[in-house]
Amino acid sequence: MAESKSRFISTTVEVEGRTEQRVVEIPTFEMEPWGADAQLTHVGARATRVDAGTKATGNPGYTTDLRRQHQAYAAIVRAQIPRGKVLRINTDAARALPGVLDILLHADAPAKTRLFLQDITYHGQPLAAVCAVSQDIATRAAELITVDSEKSRHSVTVAQAIAPDALPIRPGLPNNLLFKEPRVNARGDVAAGFAAADVIIEREVHTPCVLHTALEPHSAVCEWDGDHLTVWESTQGIFRVRDNVAKALGVPLTNVRVICEAMGGGFGAKNYAAAHTYIAALFAKRLGRPVMCAVDRTGEQVDTGNRPSSVQRIKMGAQRDGTLTAIELVAEIPLGVGGWEGGPGEIYHELYACPNVQTHETFAFVNTAAMAAFRAPGHAEGAVGLEAGINALAVALEMDPLELRRRNIATHDQKKKRPYTGNRLAECYDEGARRFGWHEWMRERGRTPGNTARQVKGKPHLRRGVGLSAQIWSTGGGPPSYASVRLNNDGSADVLAGSQDLGTGTRTILAQVAAEALGHSLAQVRAIIGDTGATPYAGNSWGSMTVASLTPAVRMAAADARSALLDAAAGLLNAPKDSLSTREGRVFVDGSDRSMSFGDITAKLGNVMIQGQGSRGPNPQDAGIVTTGVQFAEVEVDVTTGVVRVLRIVAVHDAGRIVNPTLAESQLEGGIIQGLGFALFEERMLDARMGLPLNVGLHDYKIPTMADIPSIDGVFLDGADTQANHVGARGIAEPAIVPTAPAIAGAVADALGVDVLELPMTPWRVLAALKR
Amino acid sequence: MHITLNGRPVDAVPAGHTTLLDLLRDELSLTGTKRVCDRGACGACTVLVDGKPVYSCLTLANGCDGHDVRTIEGLGAPNAQHPLQAAFALEDAAQCGFCTPGQLMAASALLSTNSNPSDDQIVAAMSGNLCRCGTYPKIVRAVRRAAATLREASNG
Repeated sequence: MAESKSRFISTTVEVEGRTEQRVVEIPTFEMEPWGADAQLTHVGARATRVDAGTKATGNPGYTTDLRRQHQAYAAIVRAQIPRGKVLRINTDAARALPGVLDILLHADAPAKTRLFLQDITYHGQPLAAVCAVSQDIATRAAELITVDSEKSRHSVTVAQAIAPDALPIRPGLPNNLLFKEPRVNARGDVAAGFAAADVIIEREVHTPCVLHTALEPHSAVCEWDGDHLTVWESTQGIFRVRDNVAKALGVPLTNVRVICEAMGGGFGAKNYAAAHTYIAALFAKRLGRPVMCAVDRTGEQVDTGNRPSSVQRIKMGAQRDGTLTAIELVAEIPLGVGGWEGGPGEIYHELYACPNVQTHETFAFVNTAAMAAFRAPGHAEGAVGLEAGINALAVALEMDPLELRRRNIATHDQKKKRPYTGNRLAECYDEGARRFGWHEWMRERGRTPGNTARQVKGKPHLRRGVGLSAQIWSTGGGPPSYASVRLNNDGSADVLAGSQDLGTGTRTILAQVAAEALGHSLAQVRAIIGDTGATPYAGNSWGSMTVASLTPAVRMAAADARSALLDAAAGLLNAPKDSLSTREGRVFVDGSDRSMSFGDITAKLGNVMIQGQGSRGPNPQDAGIVTTGVQFAEVEVDVTTGVVRVLRIVAVHDAGRIVNPTLAESQLEGGIIQGLGFALFEERMLDARMGLPLNVGLHDYKIPTMADIPSIDGVFLDGADTQANHVGARGIAEPAIVPTAPAIAGAVADALGVDVLELPMTPWRVLAALKR
Repeated sequence: MHITLNGRPVDAVPAGHTTLLDLLRDELSLTGTKRVCDRGACGACTVLVDGKPVYSCLTLANGCDGHDVRTIEGLGAPNAQHPLQAAFALEDAAQCGFCTPGQLMAASALLSTNSNPSDDQIVAAMSGNLCRCGTYPKIVRAVRRAAATLREASNG
């Protein structure tokens, strides 16, 4: 076909900091971008989350709440040692327990599921599973299964993993390093940059391994009808789970339908099918009844992913006027038994203008559960080190840390030598400083001898301090993403898209965009998502991609449907199509008082369908698409106990057009609160000698509670990024977390006059820093 | 054993080790009450027993014999929302929503004893309910809003 040459082209997309080359389909027609001054009714409105009502009843349709007829329940038996070999698994006692239906061992699982490997490479690795008529019986039966194993030497730290006598963890990798060697990225000449510097600082910063801790565990319910499998899964990617399951079980894609009606949090850990999915599918097949496999809390904390810890050794140089001359990072990251290069290094190349940057990252496989993407993987931990360095330079230069940052804004994408579609970080700094009162604080500081502004009147044990951090994260989204819009014969509209709602509000914003493009009322538009059997393809909800990827496709589908509706209306209203406009579910003839409701038009058409198709076109190749922003923190530290209390956070980000400010602010607050946990409380601790995680329950792995929450003032700049896509929107979920911990760390250092260089800043670490 | 569950009499024969959470979710299929930590650390399983909030994962079912149990299913319905449910929706106090039933039950217990709680009192009463999405600021606002609605209703 003549058109095939230009219909499919190759383009670049960025996901979780990784760049991928993909083939995309060019949309069949172009949409005029909604500019910053476009008059929009539903897009940009504070519409109430459409599923808020069902969530308030407790039953919006979570996987773990499913109760299919004759549903059975599975439980997983896990390795209790970090390294070794399974010798024998004793199942007699479990089989004898009344109510136990079946047991799965290594020999029962297809090789592609990689279930129950006999080489134990981490504590928590699934070794067997049991299925019973109730969860209670399945759990008790799992406890009755005993595993005889032979232990061998483990490596849970980078030092252990790269020691000459360490055992290899993955085949073909004798030195346990991802890529077989450290990853080194460089531009310019750092040695020359340091030679040109007036001041040079060095720091070593440690960030902890933190756990996603979604409240709904990883879970699946599987039900077979002949060769056809339905999987209900708590997931961020229904189509990816479908692909994983079909491949692992060797069945055609069309035989697998994945449904996720509602899910209780993901944060990056729920992007794939995993052991629980395959276990449910295999038991369901063997038993001929639906089976649920919901990971228990210990399993959830041990074996469903984490943000890996990092050690970052930083060296930075600047001229007297604050101009950065060189940035150098040497980092170590223990990945677990699996993982990828989502390391701290990338943000060192992106956030500040600097001609000479070198990052050297050692990613080591170790005998702990594999890492997984966790809300801005790499950037959240990298920002802690980078911003500690900037703060140290500000002290060395005796310069306001805000002013130092302002002087080094990255005006273009330095890695790829191209402009950004938009980067309004300078405006974010100004607006944030204004809302926070930063300049007043600095002036007060300057006037007061001995920095007594840090004291709290009448409370000599308390010190107050302020800090800030900037943020950058690729949020352009991209193709492929498809949507359909159809009008029912009462005029109401359905949007179909293969996305899912993690709690972000996908359903709501898709309906808002469709209502806008149709000229409909929001109440008459519903988004149908979370079902591979009913919707066209959309990608995972990761990389802050959903809004930027999917809303242009939805807008186009709605415009396509609207065009078909106007074709019909033109005949019914006896007016030319180009004289028609739509508003709140009615078609108007311009310059006359004639109009018809969508419902009257579609009723006349009967079941002749008004429908539209939309697809996401490629991103611009000659520009980077990023969300930037800044957060300011004020803290109060008790120097007698070491307890840090965050008093307030001000956040200002530029994410292009905001489709629903209320939902965007909710995500912003959520990112800030997770960042606060990263700064002050959260740390998966390991016993390096035993190779075991020590705190895998919610009692001893502490996430923020309501009592820990500061006042939060989080806003977005008004505007639209019309170069990024025709809706003008970029992502916000991950940018929200990046600057929080470094801003808090900066504020603590300001309060104490000394850096706490290891997160979380627990009372013990604060007191230890004070003694230095 | 006999309990009054959301205003209706219920007979059950739970095993000795069955928790109230197991009874609700697994035997009675009332899945609005959530199982998260199963160890009394997160509050997602909060229900009311005789009007007081309890962690149902730490409450033996048999211990509820003769008592009044209220769950999220008894708080309100989509077409007859409790003011707290309406306020949670209006303030966007649920993101993923998984902790929401426990938050709502803890809040309803608070409002039954304090019709005009300060923010500090809300925080003190509800810090046993974890939320990983970070909706806490909006939960506080929702509880305040619901309290105002309930006060207006009782004054009017």
